[in-house]
Amino acid sequence: MSANEHTLIRIPDTLPTSQRSRRPLSPTQWSLISIGSITLLWWAITASGLVPALFLPPPGDVLAKFGTLVSNGYMDATLQQHLWASLQRIVLALLAAVAVGIPLGIAIGTYPRVRHLLDPLIEFYRPLPPLAYLPLIVIWFGIGELSKVLLIFLAILAPVLIATAHGVGSVSTVRQQAALSLGASRGQLLRYVILPGALPDILTGIRIGLGAGWSTLVAAELIAATQGLGLMIQSAAQFLVTDVVVLGIIVIALVAFALELGLRRLQRRLTPWHGQTH
Amino acid sequence: MSLLQAHNLGVTYPGQASPALQHVSLQLGEGDLVVALGPSGCGKSTLLGVLAGFIAPSEGSVSFDGQPVTAPGVERAVVFQHDALLPWLNVADNVAFGLKLQGVDKARRQQVVADTLQLVGLADVGRKYTWQLSGGMRQRVGIARAIASQSKILLMDEPFGALDAFTREQMQQLLLSVWQHAGRGIFLITHDIEEALFLATELVLMSPGPGRIVQRLRPGFSQRYRDGEDVRAIKSDPDFIALREQLLRSLFAQRQAEAA
Ligand SMILES: Nc1ncnc2c1ncn2[C@@H]1O[C@H](COP(=O)(O)OP(=O)(O)O)[C@@H](O)[C@H]1O
Ligand SMILES: [Mg+2]
Repeated sequence: MSANEHTLIRIPDTLPTSQRSRRPLSPTQWSLISIGSITLLWWAITASGLVPALFLPPPGDVLAKFGTLVSNGYMDATLQQHLWASLQRIVLALLAAVAVGIPLGIAIGTYPRVRHLLDPLIEFYRPLPPLAYLPLIVIWFGIGELSKVLLIFLAILAPVLIATAHGVGSVSTVRQQAALSLGASRGQLLRYVILPGALPDILTGIRIGLGAGWSTLVAAELIAATQGLGLMIQSAAQFLVTDVVVLGIIVIALVAFALELGLRRLQRRLTPWHGQTH
Repeated sequence: MSLLQAHNLGVTYPGQASPALQHVSLQLGEGDLVVALGPSGCGKSTLLGVLAGFIAPSEGSVSFDGQPVTAPGVERAVVFQHDALLPWLNVADNVAFGLKLQGVDKARRQQVVADTLQLVGLADVGRKYTWQLSGGMRQRVGIARAIASQSKILLMDEPFGALDAFTREQMQQLLLSVWQHAGRGIFLITHDIEEALFLATELVLMSPGPGRIVQRLRPGFSQRYRDGEDVRAIKSDPDFIALREQLLRSLFAQRQAEAA
């Protein structure tokens, strides 16, 4: 029996050269690999002729369609106009959800009574598919902009509310007590300790909410819209214009991803301490 | 005259059969450093919570400067073991936090912060964030924040409990020099016998089930440190060692009495 058998972890004195020389890929490079592979696969499938263009148009066709939609438009509006209409609805709904969700979330996180009062309501509507209550919203609020924004607003509101309440509720007791012993009033405690402490959660809630908002866009634009990416996709689907459908999907994905990246950056800027051990 | 007076305190937590604290009386004057020593669970933090005004006692009362204590107040600054600083503020802003809450103007705040950071040996790190500091430095920020505020006494709950032995010893000395400078009364909790003996002007030994004071001593080693004697000399003094052993025996005797 040699002494080596008792060594749990053997550290090689030289690493194999192949492992030493290879530089690890950056996160962006990994992302590019996945996007590139999907696109290549997409191209290969369409180029092979196995799938008719009606089911899946080749990447080149979609790109060409992009040019047409930017200059000539589809359904009486250019791609930019469709995008702008949707973006306005999303941003308006987001602002409203933040304005309502943060104060209400603070109240829920601070006062157990408010939580008990609102919890059933939030949990009642939260899992419902927007298409299920869409008819009610149309009956109550008509077919104007209000109903469209309201539908998106409701989707964003729940995550913002829940995340804010959770963030407020999980601010360290010790931190609050220390601030109180330094003379903080209730208002000061909220402003200087609780809100900044809940900020990482609030921002995460907004990120999740925004994703939910995008996912209700098509439903919202079912309501008698004349412009919007959701509307564009629906109409194109009805006439089997598959390349416009695919293009619409890609545009929504790209814009949503850009907003998500912006929010992540904001989160890192505003809450650099988040995730640090102390 | 004592600033802080606790009279016959008792605390029973809701749904708890036996009290967490019973018949505890304490006095803390301006130059006092009262240390509560005892094993985990003997009610030290509960006692501090009552003195700070976080916990309403089920029995007895606390007064500060003759006024009854019913809520946290700016004259009683609390320092915890960790997690109490604000990570979104830099060190200087953390130290200035108490003054800002009181509406003290910026020029005055900066002056106090500079002086206090100097006092705790952190003059160079004012612009850093607390999560960029070591554990010992963070605790110094906590102490600086409590001193810079308009507090008259400091209440400290195991302030050095999370530090390594070496840093802990440095912090004990720092605390004594700060205490001398700032002239505040300090109530400090620890489960470290040496720390309690070295720091305390008055040491109260606590025991669990129900949490109560079982012994009071006036060790006087901190005065010797203030008079210029070396720490190691003090901590290896036969008197110090004898008291340490006596306290240990007393703690073990308590344990056995409980077990029996
Ligand atoms: N909020 C609470 N509710 C119920 N029991 C508590 C609470 N806080 C502390 N206790 C109990 O009171 C006793 C004393 O606790 P504590 O004051 O934290 O002791 P120490 O700080 O000396 O470790 C312990 O038995 C603990 O379990
Ligand atoms: Mg404790």
